[in-house]
Amino acid sequence: MILSSEILTLYILNGLFLFFASIALYLSIKIVLHWDPNATTKLQYRLENYSYLSATIVKFIFAIKVPLFIFFIFTLDKLSNIISGAMCGAGVVDATTYGSYILLLKVLNLYLFAYWIVLNKQDSQFKLQPYVKQKFMLFIALYILLVSEIVLESLMFGAIDLESVVDCCGVIYSSSSGTYIASVLALDTTLLLSLFYGVFLLIALAYYYRVKYLFSILNLLFIIISLVTLIAFFGTYIYELPTHKCPFCFLQKEYNYVGYGLYISLFIGTFNGLVLAFIEFTEKESEKFYKLSLLFNLLYTLSVTYYPVMFYIKNGVWL
Amino acid sequence: MIEIKNVTKSYELNVQESVVALKDIDLRLNEGEVVVIKGASGSGKSTLLSLIAAMSKPTLGEVVVDSQRVSKLSDRFASLYRRENIGFIFQKYNLISTLSVFDNIMTPLIPLNLETKEIQKRLKSVMELFEIEHKRDVIVKNLSGGEQQRVAIARSYVNSPKIILADEPTANLDEKLSLNFIEIIKKLKGEKRTIIIATHDPLFFGEDFVDREIEMRNGEVIS
Repeated sequence: MILSSEILTLYILNGLFLFFASIALYLSIKIVLHWDPNATTKLQYRLENYSYLSATIVKFIFAIKVPLFIFFIFTLDKLSNIISGAMCGAGVVDATTYGSYILLLKVLNLYLFAYWIVLNKQDSQFKLQPYVKQKFMLFIALYILLVSEIVLESLMFGAIDLESVVDCCGVIYSSSSGTYIASVLALDTTLLLSLFYGVFLLIALAYYYRVKYLFSILNLLFIIISLVTLIAFFGTYIYELPTHKCPFCFLQKEYNYVGYGLYISLFIGTFNGLVLAFIEFTEKESEKFYKLSLLFNLLYTLSVTYYPVMFYIKNGVWL
Repeated sequence: MIEIKNVTKSYELNVQESVVALKDIDLRLNEGEVVVIKGASGSGKSTLLSLIAAMSKPTLGEVVVDSQRVSKLSDRFASLYRRENIGFIFQKYNLISTLSVFDNIMTPLIPLNLETKEIQKRLKSVMELFEIEHKRDVIVKNLSGGEQQRVAIARSYVNSPKIILADEPTANLDEKLSLNFIEIIKKLKGEKRTIIIATHDPLFFGEDFVDREIEMRNGEVIS
């Protein structure tokens, strides 16, 4: 078990999350069971206060979770310095059986917490707060995911064995590793790039015609195809090495931490696109989500495109 | 019309103990009325005003103002309701002591995003009405009690609220200034605004400009 200052920080914050989220869970269950917007009873007024308190707790958790996710990635990257064989966060993730699951769960929770925040904001726009039960039911589900995340994270840090040698990203993502992700990354580059730019163009078309469900589905596809092409193709131009396929190394100082900017713009772009399918917004509000989504997806697309184009301009060849 | 329907308000001191500030209050106050709520300290007058202003919520029952269930409003809508309907004169004025008279009176207009010209126009007319224009640039902490109160009244009035609530407005004033305040209220009564004054000052009792007097004791309306 490793207890670096970064891991201790994560443990302490997870403990705080657990404490506050448990209070919010208790209150959420009461709200879901007894909420009646028209009642003027003692219980209903109390539930209205509970609703404010719980919403404040969830907002607090989200406000900390966003930078904490970045800090978590940073911690993985830092741990790679003391784990034999690991060259970046990928090696640390692969060092235990929990690594990949915790990473996926963290990303899923980020999207779901962000969705909760938008739902809560939307709820407060109406006098009768139509989404109260829905948002607190969602929080109950989120609590389970949050606890799972905390447990998995603790298990992962607890299971890291400093005596063992782990694989580096070069091995994990190489086509010879035989993993599912490796087989996806080995797909034809032309096909992957056609899918990437094709999906982006379709997003732009769905925006033009304001087809919100299609826009959301395409954003979901865009997350997947973006991650695949980032590792399989664009990343190799960031590293300027055709064999280096890794979603973590560009988070390091050597690459100017460019990965953080790429992931953040991808998250903002796709989240704003996805949320359109789940909440009824006014035309003006929808427009804001459409534009934010398109803007950040465009920013992501232009940013990743920059690397191979610049490489070609400088060297006159593709990798 | 302001309807207070079977309202009870209690404050929890701890898990077992609570103080009941209002007990099952049922009242109807008509538009344009000047109402004096009288009673000793702790009788529940201020609590009642804060419920009408949607600054707090009842424990039981509801407050309805012009068919709007104000006690059921969320914070955001309660703020909007106050902004559009309520002018509140506090016992201790609650002015921002480091700002000028002009800036204090202007504060309720800030969220309205009015044009500067419109703000200037409104403030000029309000300061004239309450005879405070000559002090417009004076920092309020340098004003006398009576002047501070005129600023507080001007601030409560600048949004043209339908309802003006005054909580012990003459508690910190001498008799002459209290009579000045009464003159101001008489002036406002002519504008068909609902004015509710919570006070234990006998100067307000039995006056012609008062349409109703409501007496409270221990959280209950007794007459």
